[in-house]
Amino acid sequence: MSTVRRTPLERQYALIGSLLIAPTVLIFCAVIVYPLVSAVYLSLFQVFTPTLEGSWVGLENYRTLLGKNEFWSSLWTNIVWTVGTLTLQIICGVGMALVLHQNIWFRSIARSLILFPYFVSTVVAVLVWKWVFNDLYGILNHLMIVAGLIDFPVDYLGSMPNAMISVILVGAWKYFPFVVIAVLARLQTIPDALYEAARIDGAGPIASFWDVTLPQLREVLVVIIMLRAIWDFKEFDLIYLLTGGGPVTSTQTLPLLVYKEAFKLNQMGMASAYAVVMMAIMLVFMVIYIRRTRSEDDT
Amino acid sequence: MAEVVFKDIVKSFGSFTAVHGLNLTIAEGEFVSLLGPSGCGKTTTLRMLAGLDFPTSGSISIGNRVVNDVAPGERDIAMVFQSYALYPHMTVYDNIAYPLKKRGVRKADRAPMVQKTADLLQLTELLRRKPRQLSGGQQQRVALGRALVRDPKVFLLDEPLSNLDAKLRGYMRVELVELHRRLGRTMVYVTHDQLEAMTMSDRIAVMEGGKLQQFAPPNEVYREPANRFVAGFIGTPAMNLIDGTLANEAGAWRFASPGITLTCPPLTDDAVSGPACLGVRPEDVLLGEGPIRGQVQVVEQTGHENIVVVKIADGIRLTGRAGADHVWRPGETIQCAVDVSKAHVFAAGPSGQRLNRPLTKDQPRLAKEGA
Amino acid sequence: MIRRIAFNLFAWTIVLAVAFPLFWMVLTSLKPQFELFRRPPTFLPETWTVEHYWTLLSSTKFLTYFKNSVILSTTTTLVVVAIATIGAYSLVRFRYRGRESLAFLVLFTYLLPSVVLIIPLYLMLVQLGLSNSILSLVIAYTTFALPYALWLLRSFMAGIPEDLESAALVDGASRLGAFRDVILPQLLPGIISTALFTFILSWNEYLYALVLVNSDSARPLTTGVMNMLVSSFNIEWSLLMAASVMMSVPLIIVFAFLQSYLTRGFGAGGVKG
Repeated sequence: MSTVRRTPLERQYALIGSLLIAPTVLIFCAVIVYPLVSAVYLSLFQVFTPTLEGSWVGLENYRTLLGKNEFWSSLWTNIVWTVGTLTLQIICGVGMALVLHQNIWFRSIARSLILFPYFVSTVVAVLVWKWVFNDLYGILNHLMIVAGLIDFPVDYLGSMPNAMISVILVGAWKYFPFVVIAVLARLQTIPDALYEAARIDGAGPIASFWDVTLPQLREVLVVIIMLRAIWDFKEFDLIYLLTGGGPVTSTQTLPLLVYKEAFKLNQMGMASAYAVVMMAIMLVFMVIYIRRTRSEDDT
Repeated sequence: MAEVVFKDIVKSFGSFTAVHGLNLTIAEGEFVSLLGPSGCGKTTTLRMLAGLDFPTSGSISIGNRVVNDVAPGERDIAMVFQSYALYPHMTVYDNIAYPLKKRGVRKADRAPMVQKTADLLQLTELLRRKPRQLSGGQQQRVALGRALVRDPKVFLLDEPLSNLDAKLRGYMRVELVELHRRLGRTMVYVTHDQLEAMTMSDRIAVMEGGKLQQFAPPNEVYREPANRFVAGFIGTPAMNLIDGTLANEAGAWRFASPGITLTCPPLTDDAVSGPACLGVRPEDVLLGEGPIRGQVQVVEQTGHENIVVVKIADGIRLTGRAGADHVWRPGETIQCAVDVSKAHVFAAGPSGQRLNRPLTKDQPRLAKEGA
Repeated sequence: MIRRIAFNLFAWTIVLAVAFPLFWMVLTSLKPQFELFRRPPTFLPETWTVEHYWTLLSSTKFLTYFKNSVILSTTTTLVVVAIATIGAYSLVRFRYRGRESLAFLVLFTYLLPSVVLIIPLYLMLVQLGLSNSILSLVIAYTTFALPYALWLLRSFMAGIPEDLESAALVDGASRLGAFRDVILPQLLPGIISTALFTFILSWNEYLYALVLVNSDSARPLTTGVMNMLVSSFNIEWSLLMAASVMMSVPLIIVFAFLQSYLTRGFGAGGVKG
């Protein structure tokens, strides 16, 4: 369509538009595009962090990485964490949304309380949970013993599989409100007529959940799952702060591996290679999500 | 001078062409409707005139000035939007005063102008309100006020009545015509409602598929539709359009389709033998006697008349109008005829051109004919 | 009626269970240190005390961190929201080449993991001599806050009827005049929403702060408070809980007064994408 002649007015508008987007473009190039490109570039070097001196190694980092046990185990841990926490988030989120959709007492206060964990700083969340999980004085061990579920205090963060379960649980606690709000918003748009029709057709509450609510939620759930999968996959703060990847490396996901390689082992080149591979894996999800969003935009 | 001229206007959005080579001249002070179904290019045309869309090629001029490169605000036009587009955060007063403010009218001078417009539209009591506190009809008047306040050369109205209820719509039609008469300004009115176009306009530009189909006064559009599209689009109930064949028999054109055969009214030289279409308005179908035999299918009673749908052959139906005093029953066999002097013949195809010569007033009525 | 009460009790039990850690945080912060080691643990403090808050403010670097966080988050929010507002206007309401690809890039970066950018950003900021400063964090935070704000504002902007701008243009406004007179007032709730989200995001950020800053003069709350955990010999939980509560104060304020803006932001950017 480049042959289309534009009027001066149209050109003037295009110029204004370009000027308005210019700051964004400049910043994007400086702090996102350039670092992204240099991440790929760096991954071809061996860089020692303190001196920042590097030597070209080509694809050597990638070859090492793919042969390394630590990479594969971190990838596996990452998948376990993502699938585990995401599943819990969705189940708890949808359940909670259904509860909050009912007309319960002080609904808005209940909603605020549910929403709070999502907005609270990960640092705060982790500190609180570490205190709750504390093996000697933590309230959780106390309650579990009182309830007769355990006889001795449990080490929630320092042993496996407890550490992984704890991380997944805290992740679910912190992020399920996102699902609640999103699902709640969608629930409110389901026309009552649909439920009435289902009731006339003889559907009970359970049947109307499966036949009316769930099909209506399908669209939004797909979006939520993709979005949360991407975000959970790249989660760093929560896991790093809660277990530091430990015990040993049993809760070490790829973002933690990148961090460790770059700033603890001082291998920036290698770390970049990890980061690039991680991004490549995420790209699959991102492309699916983006294509979906864009096709929605078009309609 | 506020003549509006569209010259060879083409508008494409990517590969989709919304307007194909439009040529249209609207005279100073004229009330012109752009009429057509949705997607016909009428709103795009109006937006190009407003300077909100840009023609891909061709030129638009207002009062002898080519305005292609003139910003909307400098074209000396005012526009009323279908959604009214009132500024929600401003009061009614500020909404009406906004165009004045943007034209550098001093604050002290604005007040009497706004007041005058508000008086004219009975908005005086509402000046301190916000748009969301107004009813649909009141919002509509504010939108009108915002257009009126600075006395532009040309008014553009984009389906301004479509969000009002039927009663208010009827009232506003009269108001708008009255306003046009009083102001004597050029008005370009976009609508898909033929009743609005017919009742208000000096001339109607019927559009379809991005092309101008006919540009003529309302009664001419009704009596002498330029083509089959216009014939079918204008008039309620719609004109009967019956596909058949045209044949020249000894110098006279005859039209034949299942159920009807007749001698055509005088045709132009463009007529050729082959498929064609007969067009008859329901009021030109005479019910009760005549050579065409059919069966009554549906009777719609409107109160002052009955609309009777008659099946005359498989898939061919004739709609006619009858007085309210005689009730036809569905299933009843009926004889009817077509007033050939008022019938039209169109070339084949969805927008086939009209083939009969224009009717003249003193033309003798031909005998009723049929079967 | 009984079913209704039972359901309410059930619902509220879950809600309180979810919120329990947060109540526990507040309660712990109000107990004297020795009470924490009581067995069995006390639920409500036997002795209520605010000594930990006092200690926090008087004998730790908490106030410095707090100040750093306020400066950091406010600056990031102002810069990002200003740029994103005009950027979103441009993306939604103008036609020029590359606009579509740009929108795509925004969405892409919105999903991009920080760890990919952090190494080159670290190198870049060290080379520029900006490391260990609040400015370096503002720059780093832009990498996630700008795409986020753009995406949010883009969808708010798309919700403003195009006719409003058209009307302003016909009424004699220029493009920028229409933006100021008509679009900006309409966008205001969206801007507030976006600003709140951006602020909270910056306030809570940890990774960049961990990597880019290691001096107390520039350290924000997140890393600062974590440092208190690491550096203290025996962990003073009630002090940490007091710090956690204090750290959440801005959030509590937002929750108390501006929650509708948060929910609106969810609708605009969170879910629709």
